[in-house]
Amino acid sequence: MYDVIIIGAGPAGLSAAATTANQGLEVLVVDEYMKAGGRLLGQLYEEPDGTYWNGIKESNHLYERANQSGAEIKLGTSILNIEKSGDVWLVYTEKDTYETSHLLLATGAAESPSPVPGWTLPGVMSVGAAQVMTNVHRVKPGKRGVIIGVNPLAAVIASELQMAGVEVTALTLPQMNGLNEEAAHPKQVMNQLLHVAHMAPSALIRQGSKWMKPSIMQDLGITFYPKSGFKMWGIPVHLRKAVTEILGDEKVAAVKLATVKPNGDVIEGTEEIITCDFVCIAGGLYPLTELAAVAGCPFYLVDELGGYVPLHNERMETALDGLYVAGNITGIEGAKVAIAQGVTAGLTMASNHGVQGLKDRIEQSIEEIEQTRDNAPFHFHPDVKKGKQIVQEKWEEMMAAEQPL
Amino acid sequence: MKQQDFLVCRCEEVTYNELMETASRTGCTARELKLRTRAGMGYCGGRTCRPLVQQITQKLEKAPHTRVTLKYQPPVRPISFGDLGGGEE
Repeated sequence: MYDVIIIGAGPAGLSAAATTANQGLEVLVVDEYMKAGGRLLGQLYEEPDGTYWNGIKESNHLYERANQSGAEIKLGTSILNIEKSGDVWLVYTEKDTYETSHLLLATGAAESPSPVPGWTLPGVMSVGAAQVMTNVHRVKPGKRGVIIGVNPLAAVIASELQMAGVEVTALTLPQMNGLNEEAAHPKQVMNQLLHVAHMAPSALIRQGSKWMKPSIMQDLGITFYPKSGFKMWGIPVHLRKAVTEILGDEKVAAVKLATVKPNGDVIEGTEEIITCDFVCIAGGLYPLTELAAVAGCPFYLVDELGGYVPLHNERMETALDGLYVAGNITGIEGAKVAIAQGVTAGLTMASNHGVQGLKDRIEQSIEEIEQTRDNAPFHFHPDVKKGKQIVQEKWEEMMAAEQPL
Repeated sequence: MKQQDFLVCRCEEVTYNELMETASRTGCTARELKLRTRAGMGYCGGRTCRPLVQQITQKLEKAPHTRVTLKYQPPVRPISFGDLGGGEE
């Protein structure tokens, strides 16, 4: 029997582990991957102040801190089910069943790559997979790649691939279908990019984005967007070209690229073939909530947070007694926010376990989450704060209804 | 230009055209679309195609905000029958 079990050894889970173990609680962290760090492991990018954020280094640091505080960390272990029995949470793995009074779900996010014809060929992968291969396992996903999907995640990973000596031929849109409408619409994609343009490596784009705020300018911008694309880190970024098909017999050999109208319609006769030996699909991220769902947590669909999120309060408590959440399961954000949420969840669990005098520290940690969010160089969704507000409102509505769960 | 067909659910080999055709013909919910086509019912438990199946019917379903439209069931990861049954080595 543990005081606390934490599912997920990413930034949220590890920070919660150190926090609770430092309060003298007996803590177990379980993660299905063989390395601790979660999605943080793959991250490698330049911060606005010019320093580098190295995910492997940050992960090691968090792991060491959790380890030294006395938390037990079990890697390479999947959780298959969780259920409540009396006052105790049962946590099922393939071999063993663990028991705890406080269970934190820090399961993070999953990728949702949007499909295009040919996406089942070997050599096609999500951008996250390419990132893990390159930065974590130090294996090149190929020699020459095309990235389908133009968004901040795709741009960051393109630059990482380039640093690793892998050629990225182009970032380009997918041909529009019923599963990718927004991500394939040139004007909508440009609009989303404007929210992150202040992060662009080119001063021209940073300046240009200020002029682009009015919708009329966006119409002009996408109509006159250069057919050969704009270059970022030397990689052409196409908003007026889309992949209609990934080609190859037994594995990826090329993509078929066509020019599209500002509304995303393909212009007949403009198809060209671009050779490559791998393709990355950049979709979005969504909160990985399967365990919260099997436990019976009430949910709410919040697009600003990336999908369905389990309802929770500021102290990171869910509606189910003894079940907590932290990190990307509560909405798609950066690792620093996840770390801050882990602290709050950790303190809340310690306080609920009987550790006295944590009230002020919990309040302070909640404020720190807000501050970290405000200071983030960019948000995965521009309206993430609105999303957080929706969760708060829905939580209060549920509490006010006082329906026993 | 006509959209080429492609697989959405790899485990059960359900294509995009099949899903779109079923959804528009029956006007069904995500759960019904899953049951009609078997998309998301394969070995991996819908880990890749679940959001896609949901997306197809999202516009048709009324007020799906408060509940997850496709149910999750344990075990949430693939497991061998030996481990599931807890039999002897």
